[in-house]
This record gives sequence, structure tokens and C-alpha cells, in this order.
Amino acid sequence: MTTVPTQRFVGTSVPRAEDDRILSGTATYVDDLQLPGMLHAVFFRSPLAHANILQIDVSEARSLPGVHAVLTGIDIEALLNPEAGSPGIWMSENVQFPVIAITRVRFVGDLIAVVVAESRYLAEDAAELIEVDYEPLQVIVDAATALDPSSEPIFEDLGCNLAAEPTCNTHGDLEAVFAKADRIFSTEIKQHRHQNVPMECRGCVADFDPVSGRLTHHGSNQGVGRSKTTLAEQLGLEADQVRVLCNDIGGSFGLKIGASREEIAVAAISRHLGHPIKWTEDRSEHMTASGHAREETLEVDAAITEEGHVLGMKVRMVCDTGSYPALGRHLGAIVERMFPGPYNIEALQFEYVPVVTNKAPYIAYRGPWAAETFTRERVLDLVANELDIDPVEIRFRNLRSHREAPGQMVTGRTLASCTARESLEALLNEVDFDSFRSEQDAARAEGRYIGIGVATYIEAAPGPRNDVDLGDETLRVRLEEDGTVSVFTSQMPHGQGHETTFAQIAADEMGVDFSQVRVVVGDSDLVPHGGTGGSRAAAMAGGATLHAARNLAERTREIAAELLEASSSDIELSEGTARVRGVPASAIQLAEVAKASLSDTPAESQSHSLEIEENYKGGQGGWSGGTHCALVEVDVETGQVRIDRYVVIEDCGTLINPAIVDGQIRGGIAQGIGAVLLEHSAYDPDGNFLASTFMDYLLPSTTEVPRMEIQHLESIPNDPDVNFRGVGEGGMIVAPPTLVNAIEDALTPYNVMITEQHLPPQRIMELLQGMQPSSK
Amino acid sequence: MTTSRDISFHLNGVSTERSVNVRKTLADFLREDCGATGTHLGCEHGVCGACTILHNGEPVRSCLMLAVQADGTELTTIEGLSPQGELGAIPRAMKSNYAFQCGFCTPGFLISIAALLQDGNRPDERSIREVLSGNICRCTGYESIVNGVIAVVAETEASES
Repeated sequence: MTTVPTQRFVGTSVPRAEDDRILSGTATYVDDLQLPGMLHAVFFRSPLAHANILQIDVSEARSLPGVHAVLTGIDIEALLNPEAGSPGIWMSENVQFPVIAITRVRFVGDLIAVVVAESRYLAEDAAELIEVDYEPLQVIVDAATALDPSSEPIFEDLGCNLAAEPTCNTHGDLEAVFAKADRIFSTEIKQHRHQNVPMECRGCVADFDPVSGRLTHHGSNQGVGRSKTTLAEQLGLEADQVRVLCNDIGGSFGLKIGASREEIAVAAISRHLGHPIKWTEDRSEHMTASGHAREETLEVDAAITEEGHVLGMKVRMVCDTGSYPALGRHLGAIVERMFPGPYNIEALQFEYVPVVTNKAPYIAYRGPWAAETFTRERVLDLVANELDIDPVEIRFRNLRSHREAPGQMVTGRTLASCTARESLEALLNEVDFDSFRSEQDAARAEGRYIGIGVATYIEAAPGPRNDVDLGDETLRVRLEEDGTVSVFTSQMPHGQGHETTFAQIAADEMGVDFSQVRVVVGDSDLVPHGGTGGSRAAAMAGGATLHAARNLAERTREIAAELLEASSSDIELSEGTARVRGVPASAIQLAEVAKASLSDTPAESQSHSLEIEENYKGGQGGWSGGTHCALVEVDVETGQVRIDRYVVIEDCGTLINPAIVDGQIRGGIAQGIGAVLLEHSAYDPDGNFLASTFMDYLLPSTTEVPRMEIQHLESIPNDPDVNFRGVGEGGMIVAPPTLVNAIEDALTPYNVMITEQHLPPQRIMELLQGMQPSSK
Repeated sequence: MTTSRDISFHLNGVSTERSVNVRKTLADFLREDCGATGTHLGCEHGVCGACTILHNGEPVRSCLMLAVQADGTELTTIEGLSPQGELGAIPRAMKSNYAFQCGFCTPGFLISIAALLQDGNRPDERSIREVLSGNICRCTGYESIVNGVIAVVAETEASES
């Protein structure tokens, strides 16, 4: 019999285990490290977007006192494994390129040389003395030019400027659906280039020990395992000759995945010079070269009925993936799979065209596939407007409940556990749309323009299992000799509070206090291979923690049963003890049980081991999702948008720590607000990056981000044990369409049709130019 | 050419003397030469606010000052808000309000909040938001931080009544 312990910590807002060190200033971020003999690396980057490198003169830089080395692309290549493929984690088998450019630079910020000196100050001085002769090449900064057959390929290997072969797939009976439609609604929806902007830039300290031949690489990274694999391959080391460590990380949002080109170079130089080397990226480098996201255009033909049913869609997505191969090449498949969302869309044709341009690489940013939600939710409002149907009503007409009989997306996945319709129903209890419409009319009569917008989404975090492989999550738990519990996870928290949430789960299973659980992260010698991403921590690592700790509890009961001469089914674990149920006086400390297991004979040790490894496949999984609603006022004189109210109806399954969940939701929405109202990773026609400082790339502050009203739906359990679901990405996925829908609603009298995501004041004024408000 | 200078100052109440390179920023000096790594650098051009410290009681961007300007002054950093390893009133209220996530912007916020609440000042939410608009946090959406400040103000009022 399995005894299910009483839950004490899961579901409560336990104060975060991370906070004492963060709030006292004693947390350790990678740039805080200082090692004996440590030198500092600074990269010299291309000022041109596209050019051949004719000559590099580093002699003056090299001769500056305090400079230990200046290395160019060829120098670095000589330090690396010639058998290794091109750097990067996103499979680039059809494109070969070096860690540091040798013959050609492909975007402003591309790597040309690296200076190593006794301080960062000296290294930066020396970098200014590097002289490079360039032969400028045609600069391509937009998809249309990239696709023009007369444009030169940015990568000769490719023969053209397609990052990968375009794909076009059809799901459902497209012809039949378009034949029975009353009309076809066509539009073109754009997302603009913006970026993650963690407050901590990238960085590392590489420390190669010539005696042991081992590299210790201190990074700031979403998964130590992925960095380890890349560094070992690139440096030609055995996997066990590389140890990657991460301490506290100042945010990432999808950016810091795997060892970057810079980190590979720094590790190689540490081995070459026999010194620890620190690289700390500055903000300008970060904005320019760490990677950008979201620049894509989606041409849509929607087959619709007069009643507002969206029967099917044809979509052509062109993604500006920037220069070097990264996520942009592979993004189409995820966008395609998620495109129908929770709606009854019967057929979808999806074409994906990833193009190469002379801009920073397209990388993962919180909800990377969000183009599907933005496009679908924008199209629904545009169709509603065309048919004069209320935006909430059109969603109800296209959504059904999956509570009783789960439907299936036409692209394949079951919608079991999806509560999208329920979230829209719940919104109507929170927001009085009728009274808002009256207020809106009254405001318009005064020349004030207020609007309301809704958007609905689902997120595979991890999504239900049917034929989808959710990937394994390996995790270990151990009962220590002192009676505490250790959890070893591949997850690499960078703000999400995993040290708190996994400890809550393990504490409940083991019947110990939350403070008695230590979550071990960030050491590739200790933790399983893997990493954080795709909102998998709650469901996958949370589920792995639950099952591993449950098995450990069972094993602990068995050993305690022998010590207490009772049946293991009569043993309960509570308050850090094992005891015979109903006999409190029988209690022995878990430390005693752990010590007893250590005195086992070798024959017993296998079955008595108090370390359990769990290889969790994701159970039945389930959807996260919900509906967001924004109420805004647009100042038609200045183009300023103010958010008066923001309401969230959210379903992420069982909440492990409600305060942490709400923090994830708010943070995601704040990034969505930034994306719509402020942020733009802009380039000029010559490929110069225009947003390399926080004076040019504006981030939302306390005065732009409103309070948020968050309500959690009672979700539909999909698994007997694990119904925690990821919640990290949803806010950033659905806030942009929510806001844009609200802004367009506010501007209805001006008859403005919005098909883009970036709406800073200047853009709103452009949209309003020459338009007069109608009396509608 | 003089490349270094001797300076003396108080760091979190402790009298300190150091020789410092004249072109070193105060932020780098605190982090590299004084071991005060609680102060963080988020932009190094004075916008994000992560490096904010108190300089003679006034909040300043330590990335925009030179270390030599600290000569003869009193400096307070995040470490000074939790003396003897115990969280002080402001960090404690932040913890109860789950104010921060990754913690990188935290030192600047805590110092800006300490500056805001000096001299018994009891700001309302609007003034709190106005003052804290000079600090960028990318994780939280700010509500939890603002709630933390409101809690400190309420605590102060409760203890005085």
C-alpha cells in the first residue's frame, strides 16, 4: 500500500529559499568570481554588418603593457578541435562557420578578435588599437531582399539566403473547408524584433587546470549539461574533463542556453594561456550581439462563415532569423503545431520560410512560438470587426469545452485538460463588458478613447501526452546522514525559485520540514544532464521530484520498519521522523534511518540505498493557458497608451507556490507590455544596430506596468499524481495580443486596423494621421 | 602621470582605506577591491539602477562615479542593509512579499527604497512608483516590489502608533 502523505507545503506561498542570499547581497553571480591569476577577455566586434576581412593588425594592441594575448579567428581555430562542428546548439549541419570570424563578418557585433589582459580596462584599451581592413559587401536587413535571387548569399554554403528549406504542410481537408466558407479574410500580421534583456549580461570564468587537464567553466546558463557537451566537443576534451558550474543567474528568458561562441573562445584561451579567464559582456555588446527574437511576418487567409466561425487558415510565415543559425531555423514546426490553439479550426496550411539577414541571430525568448497566439488572436478580432461581432462572442463561437469530451487540434495534439473556454467564461465574472461599453461611449463623447481587449491561449507546458514524446527528466533525491533531503536537478533556476518549489514537493513526500530539503543545481559533476526551458520545470522536474521523493519515502519506510520491527505499511514519515502510525513514542529520527542504511552489508545496500534516481517521462501532462484582458486609454494627442486594468484568468494546474506563480505571470506580462509599447531591436538600412543602450532600447518601469488581477482556474486533472504545469511563458505569449486588441478597440472610431505588434506613441500617431473619428 | 591615489571612506559604517587606480569606477572598485559584490552592474551607463548605492546618504549610480570621488565619504551598499547576517527591515519586507526573482536588480532597488524611506518619509503608491521608475527589473512586473515598500511603510506606521 502506498501511503500518500498529507500535503503541507505544496499549494502554499512558502517564502523563497533563494531570498536570504539575494536580499542580503551575498548571492554569487558569475562576475562576482575572482580567481588567483585571473585575466580578463574583451572581444573586438565588427562595426560593419557584412564585409570580407582583408587584414587584421593586432600588433599595437599586443604591445600594450598588461596585455597577455590578442587572438584572431585563425588563432582561436588552432586551439579548438578540428573535428567539432560549427558552434551552437541549434544544429547547423548545412552551414559551417568558425567560433570567431576569419574571412567574413555577417552582422554588427560579429566576433573578430579577443584581447586578454590583466584588467578589463586594459583589455578595452587594447581592443581600441586593433586595426581591420574590410571589403564591404551588400547588406541585407529585410526578408524581401534576402529572398531576392539577385542577392548574394550571406552563407556561401547555403547558396541562397534561406536558413533552411521552406516547409509547407496541410492538416485537415483544406479545400473542403475553404469551399464551404462564406468568405475569405486576408491579412498580414507582423511581430517586430525585440529581445530578452536579462539584467545580467552574459559572462563566464573559464579555469583550465593544466595538471589535471580539466576545464572548470563557471557560467551563467540555463543548463550546465548543454554547456559541458559543447565545450568538451569544441575543445576536444572527454566529457568528464569538463565541469560546468553555475551559481546565481541574473535572468535569461531563453537567451543563455548552451555555451556561446564567446565562451568557447574564452575556455580555449584559458587552456592556451594557463590562466583563469573572465569574460563579462557589457550592455552594449549584449544588446547588439547576444541575440534577438520575434521578427516575423505571417500572411493569413482565413476561411470564415458569416456567423464568425473560423473554419480554416492558410498561413505563410516568413521569419527573419538573422545571421548565424539559431532557433529561427527550427521555429516554424513549433508555431505550426500550436497554430490552431484551443479553437475548432478544421484545417490549416502552414508554410515556413526562414531567411538569413545581416542581423543578430534569432534566439529563444520566453514563448518563442508566440507568433501563433499573436496572429490568431489578432485575426479573430479583425474578423469580429469585419463581421460586426463582439470580440468575446467570436471567441465563444470558436471555442468549446474539453472537459467532457476532449477535442484535438487539427495539427495533432489532444486538447484534454484544456480550459480555454472556461477561462473566457470566468473572465465575464470579473469584467463587466456591458458597463465598460457604456463608459466607452461616454468617454468618446468627451474625446477620450478607452478600449478593452481579450486574448486566449494555451501553452504546452508540457501539454498532454498522446503521441508526443515529452522528453525525459532525470532527477535524484537522497536522504542524507543528518536526516535532511537533497534533490539533484538538471533545472537551472534563474529567478523561477526552483530551490523553493522542488523543496516544497520533496518535503511533503518525505514528511520533513521545508527547511530540511536542499535543492542542488548548477554543477555538472553532480546534477543530471538537461536544463531549464520550454516551461518544463513545474511539470517535468516537479513531477520527477514527486515520484523520486515518493519512492525514497517508501524505501525509508522499509528500513524504518526493520528498525521498529513493524510492517512498512504501518510506518509513517512525519516531522522528520519515522514512526509506527498511532504510536508517536515509536518515532525515530530520519537521521537514524539513514545511518542504519549505511551499515548495510553489500548485499543489502542495493535495495536499501537511500538515493533514488527517477527518470520521469511526464505522466499524462496537461495544458496551461487562459484568457487575459486589458483595459486601456489611448491619448490621441500624444499616442501614449495607459493600461487602466489588467485581468488574468489562468490555469497552470496545481499551484506549487501561488506567490511564485503570480510572479511568473506578472513578469511575463510586463515583458509583453514592453514589447508592444516600448521595445524594438531596430536596425538602419546599412545594418547598424540602433538600440544598443537603455536610452535607445526602452524597458517598462514601475510607471508603465499596472497592478494585475490574477485568478486561477480550477483545472482539469490529467494525471493521477502530477498536475503541476509550467507558467513561465504564458504572460509573454498572450499579453501582446491582449494589449494590441485593446488599443485597436480604443481607436475604433478612427477605423484603424492594426496588423503589427509594436505600438509606441510615434507609431500610434502615424496610424492616426489624417484619420477623423467617426461618430460610431 | 598619477595612476593611483590613496582614499579613505566609510563602507557600511566600517572605516576603510585603499589605494585605487584613478580611472576605476566606484562600482568596479566596490566589487573588485572591497569585496562588496552585492552591488551589481546592469548597464554601466546609469540607466538600469542596479548599481545604486548611498553616497553620503544620497542615492547615486556607482557606475557613473569614479572611486576617487568616494574619498572622505560615507557609502552604503546592499550589504549594509542587513548587518551581522540578519535581514534588515527593508529586505525582510521584500522577502515576505516575494518581491524579487533573479535578484540581479535587487541591490539597486533596496538602496533606492532605503533612500526613499529615509527621514520617516511615508510615500503612497504613486510616489513609490515614481521614485522606483529609475530602477529596472526584468523579472517581476514590479507589483511585488511596490507591495514590499508599502509593507515597510505600514510596519513603520504600526510601530509608531
